[in-house]
Amino acid sequence: MNRWIYGWFALGFCLATAASGADYASPDQVIRKVRRLASDHRGVKMHVLAQTPGGRQVVLLEIGSDRYDAPAVLVLANPEGNQPSATQAALTLSETLVRDWTDLNHIKWYIVPMVHPDGHARFFQTPSAENFGNERPVNDDMDDQTDEDGPQDLNGDGYITVMRQKHPEGTWLAVQGGPLMKKAERSKGEQGVYRLFPEGIDNDGDGLINEDGPGGVIVGHNFPHRFAYHTSTGGPWPASEEETRGLLRFAFDHPDVVMVLTLGRTNSLKTVPPSSQQAEAGGDKYKLPKQFAEAMGLDPDTEYPIKDLVEMAREYTGYQELTEDMVLQFLGVGAAVNPNPGDLPYWNEVSKRYNEFMKEAKLDGKRLDPPDSPPGSVEEWAYYQYGVSSYSMDFWTLPVKEKESKDKKGDFPSPDEIEKMSNEDFIALGEEKIDAFLKESGAPPQFKAVMVINALKSGMMDTKRMAKMMRDNQKKEDTGGVDEADQALFDADPSAFLEWTPYDHPTLGRVEIGGRRPWSLLAPSAEAADSLIQKQLPFVRELVKLLPRFVIEPVEVSRVRDGVYRVEAWVRNQGFLPYPTHHGVRCKRPVPMVMTLQGDGVLPLEGERRIVLGLLEGSGGSQKCSWLLRAREGTAVQLEVRGPAGTAKTSVTLKGGAR
Amino acid sequence: MKKRIGWAAAVLLCLATAATARVNLNFNHYFDRDEVVATLKQLNQEYSGMTKLRSLGKSEEGRDIWLLTIHNPKTGEELDKPAVYVDGAIHGNEIQATEVCLYLAWYLLDKYDSVDMIRELVDTRVFYIVPTVNVDGRARFFERASGYNIGRTAVVPFDDDNDGLVDEDDYEDLDGDGEILQMRIRDPFGGWKTHPKDDRVMVRTQPGEIGEWRLLGLEGIDNDGDGRLNEDPVGYLDMNRNWGYQWQPYYVQSGAGEYPFSAKATRAISEFIVSRPNICFHWAFHNYGGLFVRGPGSKLSGLYSPGDVQVYNYLGEEGEKIIPGYKHVVGMEDMYTTYGDFGEWMYCSMGTFGFIGELFRSEELRYRKPGQDEERKAVMDLQSTADYELQQFNDNLAHGTLFKPWTDFDHPQLGRIQIGGWRTFTTRMHPPFMIQEMAHRNAAMVIFTARHTPEVKLELLDTKDLGQGLTRIRVRAVNMNALPTLSGRALRDRLARQDIFSIEGKGLETVSGGVVQDVVMDRVDYVKHRPHMIFTHVPSFGKRDIQWIVRGTGKVTVTFDCQKASNRTLSLEL
Repeated sequence: MNRWIYGWFALGFCLATAASGADYASPDQVIRKVRRLASDHRGVKMHVLAQTPGGRQVVLLEIGSDRYDAPAVLVLANPEGNQPSATQAALTLSETLVRDWTDLNHIKWYIVPMVHPDGHARFFQTPSAENFGNERPVNDDMDDQTDEDGPQDLNGDGYITVMRQKHPEGTWLAVQGGPLMKKAERSKGEQGVYRLFPEGIDNDGDGLINEDGPGGVIVGHNFPHRFAYHTSTGGPWPASEEETRGLLRFAFDHPDVVMVLTLGRTNSLKTVPPSSQQAEAGGDKYKLPKQFAEAMGLDPDTEYPIKDLVEMAREYTGYQELTEDMVLQFLGVGAAVNPNPGDLPYWNEVSKRYNEFMKEAKLDGKRLDPPDSPPGSVEEWAYYQYGVSSYSMDFWTLPVKEKESKDKKGDFPSPDEIEKMSNEDFIALGEEKIDAFLKESGAPPQFKAVMVINALKSGMMDTKRMAKMMRDNQKKEDTGGVDEADQALFDADPSAFLEWTPYDHPTLGRVEIGGRRPWSLLAPSAEAADSLIQKQLPFVRELVKLLPRFVIEPVEVSRVRDGVYRVEAWVRNQGFLPYPTHHGVRCKRPVPMVMTLQGDGVLPLEGERRIVLGLLEGSGGSQKCSWLLRAREGTAVQLEVRGPAGTAKTSVTLKGGAR
Repeated sequence: MKKRIGWAAAVLLCLATAATARVNLNFNHYFDRDEVVATLKQLNQEYSGMTKLRSLGKSEEGRDIWLLTIHNPKTGEELDKPAVYVDGAIHGNEIQATEVCLYLAWYLLDKYDSVDMIRELVDTRVFYIVPTVNVDGRARFFERASGYNIGRTAVVPFDDDNDGLVDEDDYEDLDGDGEILQMRIRDPFGGWKTHPKDDRVMVRTQPGEIGEWRLLGLEGIDNDGDGRLNEDPVGYLDMNRNWGYQWQPYYVQSGAGEYPFSAKATRAISEFIVSRPNICFHWAFHNYGGLFVRGPGSKLSGLYSPGDVQVYNYLGEEGEKIIPGYKHVVGMEDMYTTYGDFGEWMYCSMGTFGFIGELFRSEELRYRKPGQDEERKAVMDLQSTADYELQQFNDNLAHGTLFKPWTDFDHPQLGRIQIGGWRTFTTRMHPPFMIQEMAHRNAAMVIFTARHTPEVKLELLDTKDLGQGLTRIRVRAVNMNALPTLSGRALRDRLARQDIFSIEGKGLETVSGGVVQDVVMDRVDYVKHRPHMIFTHVPSFGKRDIQWIVRGTGKVTVTFDCQKASNRTLSLEL
C-alpha cells in the first residue's frame, strides 16, 4: 500500500461532516473554554485584546502569569479565519499545558486561539460559504451601496457553490465523466463551453454577480510586513483593524516574547520559506547586474522598466510564473523579505526536526502543499518586524496521490532530491549532466546549463525554487489541467463535489449549480482534526526546548594586586536558538540582554557595571564580560544576566593569587 | 514714490480695518499653547454661526488636538461642499505652521463680510483646520527649556540607543536660561576655530591648522554613563512617518512608530479624514525650505498619474508666484525618500490632492547686497560665511536677540565648557516681524488652491425627439477649476466613489445611457446595466457630457451626485 494511503486516505472519509462544523468550537464556545481555563487554574489569566467589527472578542490566555523572568512564547491561531483546526489546536494546547505539560513551567505562554474571530465564525454560518473577512462593511465595487450584492443559496441546498452556464464566451470545460471543471487550453485544441459564476443573483442590477458581498478584512492579511494595498481582503492599510492593533499592542507591550508560533494555513516548518518571497517594492526602472545584462543581451548601464525586465527574464529563464516581485527581490529593492542568512541554518535544522517528527508520527504522506504566507501575514510580521524566531504550522491538507514514478532515462534527481541539495551540490553535477537533466525535465530549449549555473551562483535561482518549478510543471501534467486541489479532493472524497443541477436564474437563464462543497479543502471533520492535533502538538514541546537559555559560566577571578581584582565572566547561550535573532539585530525591536555587576564598595576601574549584550548564537554562543575592580578582599560580587531570554545569576568572592 | 505712498496708505487702511475687527489677532509674535487654544475659542465664539470647534482626541500627554471647522450651514450641507483640510506642526518644533493655520482661519472669517471673493469661497467650501498636530511637541517647545530642533516627535517611550533603558539620556538646560543651546569645549584638535571678524561664528579648521574648539552638541549630561550625550531623549515617534500608505518599520524608516497610526494624533486625524469624503485638498505646514512638496515620497508609491501631475504643476507654478522664492518640488526626487508620510497617505489612500507647505527659506534672512550672490559662491566655507552674514542680520535687524553669546560654564562631567549659539526661536523660524507676511502669503496660497477645488455646473445640452416616444437627452457638467472631481489615482485604485449622473421622472423608462466621448462626432460609451445611473467623473478644466435615451413625458430630473463637489440637479419637461 502506498504511503499516502497509509497516512491519509482514511481521513478523506471524515470529510463528509466537515461543512456542518458540528464539533469545532464556535467563537462563543472558544471564549467560554478560555474563561473556564482562566478561572479553574492558578497562574492562568484571560486578556481581551480587541473587539471585532462583528462584536466578538479577541482573547488571549496567559499561562504562567506568576512566572517571572521566564521567556514567553506567543501562540497565534487561525489568523486567516479559515482553519478551525488551528483554533482547536490552540485550545488543546492550552488544556495540555495546564494539565499535562506542567514541566514546561520555565516558560510563559500567551495563547490567542482566535486571531480573527469574525472569520472563524463564518465557518459556522448557514448557508455554508467560503468568505473569511471580518464584519467591517466594505464597498468592494465603490458604487452607491455597501455590501449590497452578496451570494444567495439559490437551490436551497445549504451551500454557496458555483453556477455554470453554457455560453459562447465560456472558457471552462467539464472533465469527462465527473463533476470537475477545468480551464480549456486552446493550445491543446480544447474549446471552452461554460462560464462560471458564484452562486447568487445580481442584487443591484449592475451586471455583476456577488461583487459586493458582506465581509471585509482578513486579520491575517492586515499586518504591516509585506502588506498588499488595494486587495479585497487586506484592508485599506496595515493594522487598520482593531484585531490587528490589539495584537500588535500586546506584542510590543510584552518584550518577554522570544518566539511566535502561528497555527494556521501556512507551514514554515515543513518547508523553510524559500528566498523567493516578493519584494515590497513597486518602483519603475532598474539596471540589471552586468553579468545578467550581458547574458540577456541588454545594456548594463540602461535602466529598464520593471515590466520589460519581467518579460525579458521570463523569456530568458523560460519560467513563465516569474513575477515582478521576484525580479525586484532579485534586484535588491525594499525592506528585508528573506530570512537573514544568519538565522537560516537554525531554521533549516528546526525544519529538519519537524519533518523527522512528522515521519515518526506517520504523518509525512504526500499532501497538498500548504500555501506560502500571504502578504500582511502575522507570521512574517513576527520575524521581520517584531524580530523573534517565528514559525508557522498547519494541521491538515488533503492527501495527494503519489504518481507512479516514470522510468528514469538517466540518473536525474527528483524535485525532492533537488530541494535537499545546496546550490553548490547542484552546480557540481556539471554542465553536461545539467543540460541532460534540463532536457529530460521538459525545460524550454533556450534554458541552458550555463544560465542555470549562473543564476544559482548569483542567488537569482536556488534549488528550492527549482524544485518548486519542477513540481508545478509536474502537477499540471499529472492532473491534465484540473486544479490540483480539486483533483485531490475528488480522489479522496468524490461526494465533496455536488451534482450539477439545473436552475432557472433570473438574469442568466438556464444554469447548473454544483461543484465543490465549501470548506472541504480547508477543514477536515472535527474528529479527524482532533486526532491530527493530538499527534502533531507534541512537536510544540520540541520547539520550545530550542529556546535560548543564558547562563553565566565560567567566572574567573584573579587578584592583580592588593585590592585590585580581575573578574572575567562568560555569558553563554545553552539553548539552540540565538538571542536576539540575526534579523532582530537589524530590525532593532528585541530588547537586549543585560549583564549587571554589584558588590559592596566595588569600583570598576575597567568595564561597566551594566553591559548590554549583543547577539549570542545558539548552542554555546558566548560573550565575555571583563572587569578590573577595586575592592576589598573577600567582597562578594553578584553577576546577573537579565532580559527576555530569561535570568541567570551567580556570585563570586574576590580573592585568589596574582596571575 | 507715489506708489510707495499708495502702499503706505493701503497698509494703514489694513491696520485700521484690523483695529475694528471682531477678533483682533497680532501676527507679530509666536502663539504659545494657551494663546492658540484661546484664539480658537475666541474665533469659535465670535463666529459661532460659521465655525465649529472640537477636540479630535487627546495626545500622548493628554492635550486636546483641536479642529476648527469653517462652514456656513446657511449655504448648504457640510458634506455637500468640497473641503480643504489644513494642518500644521505635525513636527512640534516647526512653529510658524500653527500661525499660518490661525491666520488662515482668522482671515477667512474676518474678511467674510467685507471681501466678496472670500465670502463666495466660504459659502461654497468647507475648511477643516488643525493648527497644531503635535500638541505635546509644541507645548514642550514653549513651556520647557528647548531648542530649535527639539519637540519634533511625539512623546512615545522609545529606547533610541537599544540599551534596554528608555528615554534615559535627555537634554538638560544646564545654565538654567530656559533654552537648550550648543556646548563647546577648548580643544586644539577639536576641528573648529572662531571667525576672524566675528568670534561668535565657528569656522572649520583647514588641514594642517591647529584649532581652538570642539563642538559637543546640545546642552546636557551623559545621564546613563555610556560615554554619549543626549542619545536617548524623551520623544521618538515622527508622526509624519506614521501614516498608512507604504509605511515601513523603523529599521527602514526611522521614527516610523510600531505600526501605522500608532500615535494618538495620526490615529484621531485619520479617522476624522476618513469620515469626510468631501475633503479634496490637503495642506500640511512644516518649516524648512520654502517649498510646496508633492509625492511620490518613495519609489514604492509608484508614479503619480499624468493628469494629476498636470494639476499639481498648474497649482505649484501659480504658488511660486504667490510666494516668491518658494519652489514646487517632488519629495522623493527633490528632497529625500520618506515612507508613511501624511501627504502620501492622502493622495494614495484618500485620493485627495494637496501640498506639504515648507515655510521659511534661510535666504529670507539674507544680509547681502543685490549682486553679491556670485561673489559669495566663490567663498570656500559657505557655512561660516552664511553664519557670518546671519550674525549681521542678527545685529542690524534683530538687534542681537537671535544669538546667545558663548558663556563659560562648569559642566559636572566635562569641566569648563562654553554654552551659547542660535537661540530657540531661530534658524528655522522667522523673526517675529516677518510672521504676518509669511502667514498671509501662505494663507493666500491655501485660498488659491481652495478656489480650485471642483465646482460643477450642470447644463442641458440638447434634447432630440427620436420618434415613437423616445427622446435623447444630453447634459453637460462643466468644471472650470483645476481639480477634477476624482484624481487619476483615486480612479485607478478605486479610492473614492465616482460621481453618479442619474435621471428620474414619473413613469420614465431609460432605454440607454452613457458618457458622450465626442459630442461632435457623436461617439458614446454606453453602459450595459442600470443606464439611468452613470458612474464617471468631471475632469480638470473641462466637461463631461452624458446622454440618455428615454421614453416618457412630463418632468424629468437629472442629478449629479458627487463626493468632492457640490451636488447639482437639473429639471426639464418632455
